[in-house]
Amino acid sequence: MNTRRLSHLLALLAIASLLLSACGAPAAPPTQPPATEAPAATQAPGATEAPAATEAPATQAPGTEDYAQAPRNETVIFDIDGGKVPDPTNWNPLTPGFRLDQGYHQALIEPLFILNYETGEIEPWLGTSFTPNDTLDVWTLKLRDGVKWSDGEPFNADDVVFTIGMLQAHPELWHSGDMNEWVKSVSKVDDLTVQFNLNKPDPRFLLDYFSVRIWGDVSIMPKHIWDGQDPLTFKNYDPAKGWPVFTGPYKLSSFNQDGTEFVYVRDDNWWGAKAGFQPLPKPKKLVWTWFGPEEKRAAAMANNELDSLMDITTGALQALKAQNPNVITYFDKPPFAWVPDPCSRTLEFNNSVAPWNDKDMRWAINYAIDRDQIVKVSYEDSTVPSESFFPAYKPLNAYVDLLKTAGLFDKYPITKHDPDKTKQILESKGYTMGSDGYYQKDGEQLAIDITTDEAYIEKQRIAQVVVEQLQAVGINATTRNESDATFAQEFHLGTFPARLGWDTCGSVNEPWASMDTMNTKWLKPVGTEASYDRWRWSGPAADQYSKLVDEIGTLPLGDPKINDLFVQAMTIWMDELPVIPVTQAKKIIPFNTTYWKGWPSATNNYVHPPTWWEGNTLKILLKLEPAQ
Amino acid sequence: MRGITVGYVVRRLGMFFFTVFLGMTLIFFIPRLAPGDPIAAMVSRMTAQSGSVAHSDEMIQAWRVRFGLDAPMPIQYLRYLISLSTFQLGPSLAHFPSQVGDLVLRALPWTLGLLFLATLISFIAGNVIGALLAWRRTPGLAKALLPVTLTFTSIPPFMLGILLIYLFAFGLKWFPFTGAYDMGSQTQWTWSFVKEVIHHGTLPALAIVLTTMGFWALGMRGMMVTTDGEDYMILAQAKGLHPSRIFWLYGVRNAILPQVTALALSLGAIAGGAVIVEYIFTYPGMGYLLYDGIVNGDYTLIQGVVYFLIVGVALAVLIIDLLYPLIDPRITYQKK
Repeated sequence: MNTRRLSHLLALLAIASLLLSACGAPAAPPTQPPATEAPAATQAPGATEAPAATEAPATQAPGTEDYAQAPRNETVIFDIDGGKVPDPTNWNPLTPGFRLDQGYHQALIEPLFILNYETGEIEPWLGTSFTPNDTLDVWTLKLRDGVKWSDGEPFNADDVVFTIGMLQAHPELWHSGDMNEWVKSVSKVDDLTVQFNLNKPDPRFLLDYFSVRIWGDVSIMPKHIWDGQDPLTFKNYDPAKGWPVFTGPYKLSSFNQDGTEFVYVRDDNWWGAKAGFQPLPKPKKLVWTWFGPEEKRAAAMANNELDSLMDITTGALQALKAQNPNVITYFDKPPFAWVPDPCSRTLEFNNSVAPWNDKDMRWAINYAIDRDQIVKVSYEDSTVPSESFFPAYKPLNAYVDLLKTAGLFDKYPITKHDPDKTKQILESKGYTMGSDGYYQKDGEQLAIDITTDEAYIEKQRIAQVVVEQLQAVGINATTRNESDATFAQEFHLGTFPARLGWDTCGSVNEPWASMDTMNTKWLKPVGTEASYDRWRWSGPAADQYSKLVDEIGTLPLGDPKINDLFVQAMTIWMDELPVIPVTQAKKIIPFNTTYWKGWPSATNNYVHPPTWWEGNTLKILLKLEPAQ
Repeated sequence: MRGITVGYVVRRLGMFFFTVFLGMTLIFFIPRLAPGDPIAAMVSRMTAQSGSVAHSDEMIQAWRVRFGLDAPMPIQYLRYLISLSTFQLGPSLAHFPSQVGDLVLRALPWTLGLLFLATLISFIAGNVIGALLAWRRTPGLAKALLPVTLTFTSIPPFMLGILLIYLFAFGLKWFPFTGAYDMGSQTQWTWSFVKEVIHHGTLPALAIVLTTMGFWALGMRGMMVTTDGEDYMILAQAKGLHPSRIFWLYGVRNAILPQVTALALSLGAIAGGAVIVEYIFTYPGMGYLLYDGIVNGDYTLIQGVVYFLIVGVALAVLIIDLLYPLIDPRITYQKK
């Protein structure tokens, strides 16, 4: 009897200890998106056909060589950004859990248009033009002639109409909410023409949803395969039928069962080459693989087992370059990185919680922050400080310059590090320095708890320096990591204390998208999920800001009226400072020139370099040339 | 079977099912009591990659309804029990539409292969070292050298893993430092593939063996010291039996009994994987899957992995209880 009891007790203890040990698991590799030099000119609302292919289509006879056996010097090996793929047999890109960085984004799917960050152009790809009417509520999409799915079926207006309808019918799917908000109806005019009738004018319909503004876009699915399937459970994988079927220049060849390696082979029947749009890419085989933590990934590139590596730290880069002189980065000297990535880093308050619902208190924190020190310590000089929440791209810098011209940065010196001013504000608010070295009021210590996501070391490193800076002025600041799930839930519900985040993301070549993330039209009570304004910024000033943002939202891109509205709205924002801009984001993306040359860089900037994005990676693949 | 009665087996089976039920109930409630929402995490990952996701609140709500997470907790619990009774682990919340059963079955063989062998090797090596340390006839030089093999016991397996990777994978390039088999290989029963698996599995197995065998050795050493003082050992020596016979059949045979119970528990627990070691070596096992489930708050995935863990431990305890009368004839469940 005693033995039995002991056995069960031990069994339960073993379960408990395993669960506890599992809870202490290490941080995952970062899965952030990207960026460098800015997109240039502000876009006109519609895109129109640009001169296309300059090279003749390939003439190699299809199917004569097994590209799966291609040697190393005909193969390009990429790092999988987000770690191993839990289910490598799932190829349904519409469900939110699907991983897109294992080659899907890069080798299989093709966008209708590609926003080229380097030139500022929206380049036509599967589409040739997408233009609005004068009132911006009817958009007409023209598709490229000769595009075919990888199974030979033509890509046409039926596929576009079907995909939009499918998204609208299933609120669980990615972009469903967007399509339901904007699209009243979508119809086929002819095989190569689609008309979108919108619920309200949208000058950014092309930019926001069909141009890969950031990372990905609304992907068009083949009607002849998806019709009749349940898009929520359909896995889109059947090798016997040749699935998955997309339009890209490569086909899925194989993957390993543990989801750490995906192999693609060149499709010599690719429509782009047949139609004379682009030449066949030179690499015959592409591999996406995951080697594990940063040290192992860097070691793999040092051994020439990787050609392209996802974001790593400056320290790891220096070690890597010392071991492999063929490794290059966007800049060959500091900051090395593609700076900025579209998502600047921000210290974010819960504006519904005292004392941070007081704009003066938010400014007190701002004055305590030394951004130069953060750049030096947290980033090892691989980025630059932020003076606004916008990524520092040329078109957006032009808007920020309007604020400078208006003298707003003199009145609201966001980047000024002035601890004395912090103390002055705190004391004017009734805080007194306690014997413990912290300010206090009514017997309560002034404290701030800054949460970070355990998966993102970059933000943790910023938070650690911010905490030291706040401690130095007498604010009892702390920071702690939370799991992805907790960090996200608290943000959506508005129950976080303060956080180090990157959620003002959106704008790349126009200011409205990022500004709208703080629009009070999205405001929800604490405890209810909010889509935007998750910082719960509210009040008359916030409402006035939101009215101005809404007005900007109705104007065509580049409309001169935007400038004045922008300055008015940002005057309110700078006065209120609901989130604090800290630094620009960086992505150090090492490329290996041992086997391949033609990688994008500051001196060869034909496109932006993140190799986990849709569209631009396709352009990189088309530029690669054998180095040997 | 000697020492076993039908009544005992029935009672013991009842206890087995009760333990599994209790474990599954706990693992239903514990993740749900913890902060964090799997659907919000899924949308958050999208946001992290795409910059922003408009209408995420509507999407979160739609998925919550789809997964039944909007229902009251007792209803969710009832549905969960009904699904489990038909061995349906359901879809993964973070990797929908993938099924938890598929994810687990893909990972389980790798973990079982790696950890079963590593645990057995560690058990055998640790017990032999422990027994030799306590055995009076062990040569002095061996006694001086054997404790060196236990040095790694104080190092966590993942730290040793990083050291092994640096030395043998990155430096000497004797072993690969990632995965369970070579790039481009497909899972198949061929000698060349088995060789690949052994080649890839050596370093993670070594990290586990070197860091765990000390515990076996220390336990065994203590038991051997106790056994050495028993009358039957003196009798065996007095009878003039060969020392190796006394060592193995009189000493080790009796000292190892408690170790066997611990081995059963260890083998039962391997279904949960070695979380950090699998992460460091990018090994496609249950440990990594559990890690993935926990960071994403993926209730169904956590339940799926822990289900196998609970059944594994409970089954191991059941088997060892039923086998004990055979291992140790002094134990019987029959009434005298």
